[in-house]
Amino acid sequence: MAYLTTFYWGWLLASALLGFAMGWISVVQHGQGVSRKLRWALSALVATLIGAALARVVPGRFGYWLDLGLIMFALYLCFCAVGSWLRDRVVSRSAPPA
Amino acid sequence: MRGLFWWSGKWWPGVIPLVIFWAVAAWTSTEPLEADLAQRSTAALKDTILDKRRIAVAGRDVSLAADAFSEDGRQGAVASVEAVRGVRLVNDETRLVPEAKPFAWSAERDVLRVTLSGSSPLPASRNRLMEAARGSLGGVEVVDRMNLSRGAPPHFDNAALLLLDQVGKLKEGKITLSDTKVSLSGMARELGGREAIAAALKNLPGFSVAANEVKAPPYIFQAYKDPVAVTLTLTGNAPDSNAHAALVAAAGRKFFSEKVVDNLKESVGAPSGFANAVVPALGALSRLSTGTLVISDREVKLSGDALYEAAAGEIRAGLGKDFPQGWQFKPEISVKPAAAPVDATVCQQLFSDLLGKARIRFESGKADIVADSAGLLDRLIETALRCPTANIEISGHTDTDGDEAGNQGLSERRAQAVADYLVKAGLPANRFSAVGYGSTQPIAGNETDQGKAQNRRIDFVVK
Repeated sequence: MAYLTTFYWGWLLASALLGFAMGWISVVQHGQGVSRKLRWALSALVATLIGAALARVVPGRFGYWLDLGLIMFALYLCFCAVGSWLRDRVVSRSAPPA
Repeated sequence: MRGLFWWSGKWWPGVIPLVIFWAVAAWTSTEPLEADLAQRSTAALKDTILDKRRIAVAGRDVSLAADAFSEDGRQGAVASVEAVRGVRLVNDETRLVPEAKPFAWSAERDVLRVTLSGSSPLPASRNRLMEAARGSLGGVEVVDRMNLSRGAPPHFDNAALLLLDQVGKLKEGKITLSDTKVSLSGMARELGGREAIAAALKNLPGFSVAANEVKAPPYIFQAYKDPVAVTLTLTGNAPDSNAHAALVAAAGRKFFSEKVVDNLKESVGAPSGFANAVVPALGALSRLSTGTLVISDREVKLSGDALYEAAAGEIRAGLGKDFPQGWQFKPEISVKPAAAPVDATVCQQLFSDLLGKARIRFESGKADIVADSAGLLDRLIETALRCPTANIEISGHTDTDGDEAGNQGLSERRAQAVADYLVKAGLPANRFSAVGYGSTQPIAGNETDQGKAQNRRIDFVVK
């Protein structure tokens, strides 16, 4: 893994920053979230893709692209969570006590 | 935690740029990654012996196609590539090179080139054989028609290299190695090449020679007796320095008046019994007035003019009997036209001239004429034939060594032996009287060996 990141560490960083930003915004965003049903469908899709990647059933370049996409997506999600959590801390600290 | 779950429902808009990032990342990183994996997979196989190796990388998957020379080598190659960092899967398209049975290899030489064909066990040995062929054959085109196979006998490389050396000694021919059997055919480049090849084959490690049909160029020996220049010219080959010296010495003894011109080269490869055939053949040539002796391998051709009819018959019939087994004699002997008769005085002069140049030789202490004197005796007979009316006294003389009675007897017996020889050659017995004088008529002092040698003689006196 360490070896692979030498080829696309910039893109991983970009994914992480994007995730952080998206997480930061999402705390205060007033909009519709993803419906419960769609969330389940998306989770199932991602789980399937992760299963396919671990089982190494996708050959050649597509297999590599799948791995790359999943890694970027995982980093994105992680940093979304970090961004949201940090923003939540900031918002709750600056908000007047209820 | 509830908050995180709530917020995550609003993270989806970021997925759109993420997908764009992903597409660009995939676009830009795939080829460098593939190139790097290909390079490091190749490096990982550096010490593994494979033929027809092909490495193709798609994403992180490496397709390895190669011919391996053993099952261990094949598995080791796949494991080496699997161990390369970053490789996800190895598509194993390797196989074992086919096993050759029998394991046959050959080197064929024709006028233009040397062709190596058959099986070779490893790429390295194939290259080594090609290099050795180019090195040892000096400029001759070497064509590689070898393929790679398993199943080579042990020490194949050493044997093939040794055989390639032998190809250098061939003018044309083929050397074949089939498992541990070696077969050779063709023509050696030089005299002695066949023997050199046979000697080298003894060093083959664990191989045996099934057939060695290498032929050598004919072993030639020639002698030409030139009556005008009064020379005997020897050309061609002699087996070694001892035989060479012995041949020249024999020629000197047999050709008493001719100068021996020695152009012989020393070369191995003489047929067996060479000296035993050449010496009598030279003796026969010495009896001709002019003639050529050509010995090619085991075939002896003698052509020329004998001095008289009986001598011609004797040479035709007698020479072949002296040859070792397997030798052939092809005489083409004619008879020199008889010279004009001369009177008794000239006849005496001719006898004296001949006996002044050489003496009739006998075995030591005996009355047996040695074969070397046949040429001189033929000339004496030819002269005697030119004066048919003259009576000739054949007088034997000795030196003073030994007792007088013994010398007297010996001189008589020797004179009689010469007379008998002449009669046997067809001259009438009543023309010759054999007389022994013992040591009573010396022509030189008996104090020195040289003087004694001069006194031991046969004289022809025309009466």
